[in-house]
Amino acid sequence: MEVSWLYLIPLLPLAGAAVNGLLGRWLPKAWLYAVALLVVLLPFCIGVFAWWQVAHIEGETAQVRQLVYTWFSVGSLRVDLGLTFDRLSGTLVLVVTGVGFLIHLYSVGYMDEDPGYWRYFAYLNLFVSMMLLLVLSDNLVAMFVGWEGVGLCSYLLIGFWYDDDAKAYAGRKAFIVNRIGDFGFLIGIFVLYLYTGQVSFQALKVAPLSLGVASAAAALLFVGATGKSAQLPLYVWLPDAMAGPTPVSALIHAATMVTAGVYMVARLSFLYVQAPGVMAVVAVIGVLTALIGAVIGTSQTDIKRVLAYSTVSQLGYMFVGVGVGAFAAGTAHLITHAFFKACLFLGSGAVIHGLKGEQDMARMGGLRRLGLKHTAATFFIATVAITGVLPISGFFSKDEILAQALNTRAFDFLTLLPDPGSPRLAFLGPAIYAIGTVTALITSFYMWRCYLLTFEGEYRGPPEVHPHEAPWVMTLPLWVLAALSVVGALIVLPSRQLPFTWEHFTEGVFARPRGGAPLERLPELVAFGIALVVAWAGFAAAWSLYAPGRGLQGDERIARATPRLRRALASALYVDALYDRILVKPLWATARGLWRAADAMIIDGLLVNGSAQLVAAVGSALRRFQNGDVQRYAAVTAVGVLILVYVFLVRG
Amino acid sequence: MVGPLHYLFLGAVLFALGGVGVVVRRNALIVLMSIELMLNAVNLTFLTFSRFPLVKSAPTQAGFLSGHTAVFFVIAVAAAEAAVGLAIVIAVFRSRSSVNVDEFDTLKF
Amino acid sequence: MAETVLFWIFFAGVVGAGAQVVLRRNPIHAAMSLVACFFFLAGVYLLLSAHLIAILQVMVYAGAVMVLFVFVILLLNLKEEELGRERVTVWKGIGALAVAASVGLIVVLALRNAYSGPVRDLAVEQLPTGFGTVKAVGRALYLFSVLPFEVTSLLLTVAIVGSVVVAKGKI
Repeated sequence: MEVSWLYLIPLLPLAGAAVNGLLGRWLPKAWLYAVALLVVLLPFCIGVFAWWQVAHIEGETAQVRQLVYTWFSVGSLRVDLGLTFDRLSGTLVLVVTGVGFLIHLYSVGYMDEDPGYWRYFAYLNLFVSMMLLLVLSDNLVAMFVGWEGVGLCSYLLIGFWYDDDAKAYAGRKAFIVNRIGDFGFLIGIFVLYLYTGQVSFQALKVAPLSLGVASAAAALLFVGATGKSAQLPLYVWLPDAMAGPTPVSALIHAATMVTAGVYMVARLSFLYVQAPGVMAVVAVIGVLTALIGAVIGTSQTDIKRVLAYSTVSQLGYMFVGVGVGAFAAGTAHLITHAFFKACLFLGSGAVIHGLKGEQDMARMGGLRRLGLKHTAATFFIATVAITGVLPISGFFSKDEILAQALNTRAFDFLTLLPDPGSPRLAFLGPAIYAIGTVTALITSFYMWRCYLLTFEGEYRGPPEVHPHEAPWVMTLPLWVLAALSVVGALIVLPSRQLPFTWEHFTEGVFARPRGGAPLERLPELVAFGIALVVAWAGFAAAWSLYAPGRGLQGDERIARATPRLRRALASALYVDALYDRILVKPLWATARGLWRAADAMIIDGLLVNGSAQLVAAVGSALRRFQNGDVQRYAAVTAVGVLILVYVFLVRG
Repeated sequence: MVGPLHYLFLGAVLFALGGVGVVVRRNALIVLMSIELMLNAVNLTFLTFSRFPLVKSAPTQAGFLSGHTAVFFVIAVAAAEAAVGLAIVIAVFRSRSSVNVDEFDTLKF
Repeated sequence: MAETVLFWIFFAGVVGAGAQVVLRRNPIHAAMSLVACFFFLAGVYLLLSAHLIAILQVMVYAGAVMVLFVFVILLLNLKEEELGRERVTVWKGIGALAVAASVGLIVVLALRNAYSGPVRDLAVEQLPTGFGTVKAVGRALYLFSVLPFEVTSLLLTVAIVGSVVVAKGKI
C-alpha cells in the first residue's frame, strides 16, 4: 500500500538533530528537551498508526510503502530512497522509537548537568533517524546509508567526552573496526549488483542467483554484520564502547545499532537460504561468539563491561537463530533483548549516577537496601529475563533459538569439504545446541554474579559516597522496560497458532531454509526443561560464590583455583593484544614508512623542495653569464652574429 | 681595374679590424676609436654602392645619391656619439681613476 | 691605371693605420693612427667620386672628432703605469674570432656573388654630371631628406648638452 507520510518517520528525528545541533547551544534547556523528545515520540505514533494498517493486511504484501524520491540514476542503475514498513521493519521501527523515546527521557535526567548536553541530544536524534532509515530502506544502498550513519553516530557518541583521550580512542576504535566490516558489506553490494543489476530487495528476491554468487554476497554482507553487530572477530570495539554515556550504551550498543546486522540477515533471508554454507558459518560464528562473550563476562568487574560482553554473547544467539534458518526466533530475541538489555544498561546507569560515577563492582554492594529500590527491582526483573530462571520473555526467545538449532535440517546436505564423500554437517545443529546450552549456564552465572555483587551484601564503597536513587525521569523508563521484559514473553511464545505471537505475525516475511521442515530431535518440553535447569544451575553457582555477605570472595577463589585462566579472561583473552601485534603495529609501521619515504622524501624533498632547488641551482649557474663585463657581452653578440650569418646566408 | 668588390673588401677588412678592437682592447678610448673605424667601414660601403649601383636597382629619387646622404648622417651621428661617449669616459674616470672597461663590472648579479 | 695604384696605396694606408689603432697601447698613438686612417679613407672616397663626403671626412671626422679624442686623452693624462696590460681572455679570443669569421664569411659569399646581382661598373664619364659634388648632394639632402636633416641638428644639440652635463663635475 503506497502512502505519502512514511518519510516523516526518519525525517523528524533528523530535523530534530539539525535544530538541536545548530541552535541547541543557545536554546533554553526545556525547549531542547522538548524538541529532542518530540521528534522521537511522533515517529513512534506514526509507526503505531502504520503498524495497525500493516497488521490488518494479510499475506506477503502486508506493507506500507513510500518511494520518497529517486536518489540517483546512473546508466542502468537506479537507486531510490524507498521506505517499506512491513511486519518486520515496522515492528523494529516501534522498538527503535519506543525504546529510543524511553532512553531519551532517561537521558534528560542522566545528562542534565553535562555541559555538552545539547550535542548529546543532537547526536542521539541523528542516530535514531539513521537507524530508522536503515530499518525502513527497501534497497541495499539506502540501507548502507543508514548503516554508515549509525556507525558515525556511534563514533560521535562513544567519544562524546572527547577531552579524555582514552574515550576518544574508544570511539575511533569502534569506527575503524566497523569500517572493516563496512568494506565487506560494500563489496557484497557490488557482487550482487554485478550479477543481477539490482539493489532493491524486491528485485533481488526474484533474481536468479547461482550458489557461488549467493554465497559470496551473503558471506561478504555477513562480514559487515560481524563488524556492526560485534561478532567474532570484529567484536573488540564493543567493550571499549562503554566509554560513552550509559544511555548511549543502552540504546546503541544493546538495543538497536548492534542489532542491525541481525536485521540485515533477516531481511535478506531469501538470499541466505540460497547459501546454506554461509548460513552454517553464521551460526557457528554466532555460537562461538556467544560462548566467548559469556566466558569473558564472568571475569569483568566494571558493571558496564559485564553488560557489554553480555550483549556480544546475546548477539551471538541472534545470529545462531538466523543462521539455522529460524529467522523469526532470531528476530524475536532481538526484540526481547532490546527490552531487557536496555533495562539492564539503564539500571547500571542509575547505579553509576547514584554513586557519582563509580563503575567498579568492587566498590558497590548492598545498593538495594541503601535506597536504590527501583533500580534494584527493575534490574532484578531484567536479570530474570536474560537468564531465563522464570519463563518470561528472555527465556522463550533464547531457548526457542536453541531448540530450533537443535531441530534444524538446514545443514543436512552440507558437507565439510566439496567432495561429496566427506562427512555431512547434519550434526552441526545439535552441536550448536549443546554449546548454546552451556553458554546459557554461563550467562546465568555471570548475570546473577553481577546482580548480587551490585545490589546485595554489604556496601564496599568509600564512605563519603552516599548512594541515592535516580529521579523519576530515569526510573520511569526502567519500569516500562522491565514491564515490557515480562509482557514481551507473550509475543515470543513459540506458536504459530496463537495470533499474537511473533512467529505467527511474521508468517510471510522470511524465506524458509532448504532441507525441509525441522525434525524434532527432542520433545519441546524436554528442551525447555533442560533450559530451566541450566538457568537455575547458573544461579546456584553464582549464589554459592557471591551470596550476600561474601562480597568479592568468589572472584578471589576462582582466581586462586585457575590463575592463568583468570588473567587471560581479565585481558579479554588477549585478543586486543593480538590484534595490536598483527594488525595495528604493522599498519602504523607501514604508514610511518610511507610518510617518511613517499611523503617526506619524495614529495616534499624531491618534488617540492627539489624543484625549487633545481630552479635556484640553474639560476645561480646562469647568472654567471651576467658578469658586468661589457666586452664579453660584445663577444657573445659577435658569436651570435656569426651564427646568424651562417644560418641565413650559407644555409639559405 | 679596381671594381666595386675591391672597395667592399676594404670595407670588410676595416670593419673586422674595428670589431676585433671593440672586443679585445681594455682601454675605453681605444674601444671608442674602434667603433669609429667600424662606422667608417660602413660609410665606405654606402659610397661604394652609391657609385656602383646594382644593375637591377632603379635610381632613387635622389638619383643614386642616397648613399651620400646616408653617409652624411652617419658622420653627424658618429660625431655626436663620440662626444657623448667621451663625456662618459671622463665621468667614469673621475670616480674610478681607470679607463679599463673590464673594471667597470658593477652591473652584475 | 693611376686609379689602381692609388687605390692600393690607400688600401695599405687604411689597413695599416687601422691596425695600428687596434694594436697600440698608448692611446695617443692610436689616435694619431686613426687620423692617418681617416686621411687615407678620404682619398678612397675621392676615388669613389664622393667629393663632398671626402672633404667632410677630413673636416669633421679628422678635424673635429679626432681633435675631441685627443683633447680627452690629454685631459685624462694617463701615466705610463696606469695604462694596463692587455689581458686576452678566452671569451675575447672567441669574440674576435667570431667577428673575423662573420666578416670573412660574408666576404667569401660576396666573392662568389652569392647574394649580389651583377653590379654596374660605370666608368667615370658615364656618371651623371656633378655626381658627388656639393651641389648634387645638397640637392639630394634638402629636397629628399629634409626631415632627417633637421632632426640631426636636434640630435647634435642634445648630444652637446648631454656631454656637457655628463662630463661636468658639478652642475
